[in-house]
Amino acid sequence: MRSEKIFQILLFFFIFTTLTIVVGIVVSLVTTSSPIFIKYGLDFVFSSVWNPVKESYGILPALLGTLITSTIAISIATPLAISLAVFSSEIIPQRFRSLMNSISDLMASLPSVIYGLWGLYVLAPILHNYLMLPLHNYLGFIPLFSTKPTPTNLFTAGVLLAIMIVPFASSIIREAYTAVPYNLKEAAYSIGMTKWETVRTMLGYIKSAIFAGLFLALGRAMGETMAVAMVVGNILNIPKSLFDMGYTISSLIANQFPNAEAYEYMVPALYGGATILFLIGLVINLVGLYFIKKVMIKG
Amino acid sequence: MLGTISLLATISAIPIFMIIINIYSEGLRYVSLSFLIDFPPPPIGGKAGGIGPALAGSLILMSLALMIGGCIGFFTGLYLSEFSHTKLAQYTQLFLQIMVEFPTIIIGLFAYSILVVPLKRFNAFAGAFALSVVIIPYIALNVREAYKSIPYSLKEAAFSLGISHPKAYLRVLLSAARRGVLTALLIGMAKAAGETAPLLFTILGTSFSYFEGLDKPINAIPLLIYNFALSPYERWHQVAWGASAILLSIILAIFVISRIVVKEVKI
Repeated sequence: MRSEKIFQILLFFFIFTTLTIVVGIVVSLVTTSSPIFIKYGLDFVFSSVWNPVKESYGILPALLGTLITSTIAISIATPLAISLAVFSSEIIPQRFRSLMNSISDLMASLPSVIYGLWGLYVLAPILHNYLMLPLHNYLGFIPLFSTKPTPTNLFTAGVLLAIMIVPFASSIIREAYTAVPYNLKEAAYSIGMTKWETVRTMLGYIKSAIFAGLFLALGRAMGETMAVAMVVGNILNIPKSLFDMGYTISSLIANQFPNAEAYEYMVPALYGGATILFLIGLVINLVGLYFIKKVMIKG
Repeated sequence: MLGTISLLATISAIPIFMIIINIYSEGLRYVSLSFLIDFPPPPIGGKAGGIGPALAGSLILMSLALMIGGCIGFFTGLYLSEFSHTKLAQYTQLFLQIMVEFPTIIIGLFAYSILVVPLKRFNAFAGAFALSVVIIPYIALNVREAYKSIPYSLKEAAFSLGISHPKAYLRVLLSAARRGVLTALLIGMAKAAGETAPLLFTILGTSFSYFEGLDKPINAIPLLIYNFALSPYERWHQVAWGASAILLSIILAIFVISRIVVKEVKI
């Protein structure tokens, strides 16, 4: 009986360690960042001046950078992720399926610094020469493409993020797709639906899973640090077009934190950025988890 | 329409092949035995150099993280599975599901606050701690799945043997859940090998000495890739490519092992 008591205590000990860490992260974020919110209030969020020498900090350009890059990423990734999920569970011949899934899972588990290195030296030049320059030259009158692009900018970061989140989103969608009851599919075929109509019906049936996958992927895109820091350009300006060099909140922290101790309010400012990033991510992930829960209840 | 889907799916699978081909074709030519043990080269002149300290540092950080994070994660996961009816387990699970999606740079800041600031020095332990925190939710949630997937009849049988609970969980049922648990640890290992953001503000990344102690700075491969890739020196870019080839091989090895262990893996 005694060993059971010890075991119970051990389990409680570890679970409390886990909880302490989670709570500790939130507490350290809030306490370290509080000076910046007390001093600047909402100006911190809506000001675009970042001048450590004058001790004035505004996170708006980085916040916009995060929103722009993740919007680009999720708009590119949505059709790709759904297609990949349908392709690997419906179209590709049975014997290639597990290979295809392995490839997609491998993609999801590559370190982001490898994506970053590849993005910086391979993807960025390709996008620059074959996509961004032509877009700028021929469609430069559209404000979105008005800046003369350099290889590293918000658009490159968005595309790289899209590549990174597709396999993750598609694996969630794929799991739901393969879990759809088989008789639904049979019923669809039996009333004379074509393959495409059947696929569309099935996708309608797993709507929640698709939303879940996309929201969780969006959360990942917003939090991604290293790959973005390597290709986003790292210049703090309010972006005027997709081809502007910019910053995201996480890459701002990665880049500026090493010299933050030299200034009085820079550490709180960067923790403040992290807090905002955390709050946005929290909301998005909770929405994602809500949709997942809906899938599980239905399934 | 199905054609379009196939086309889009193919497009989304192209990058992985490009990445593997590019990393190996660029990186492998710099890799040799001395690349694995030498100190990094000076920016200009000198020997070809290598990534010795970073490789050693990465292995040290990975094993420490796996020890700390694996232990906490395993028992947390066990609790989540076997006491899933308790409020405590339900809330912890929700917290962990959110924590999996935490931007890892926030975890780096946390480790900086509690382990670097008090010690007034970047240190290896802070890096190992940050990596442990990153991998805890992955391990806990996967261990939970592993124990959940054990058939109920088997659990009943284990307890009917009249052995104590710890023995039942750790000897009998662990062998039933071993594939899942092993996969969980492998996922944690792959994460610990590749994560960079938690290391930025914790280990500093000194490259010119081997391991000197847990309270001293240390380097890791992903951090070296990041620092060298963004440096202005061509020589260091080559080292970054070489280091990426090594890191990619580590990840591929872990991935292949986990595929052999069990068919379905999710990271």
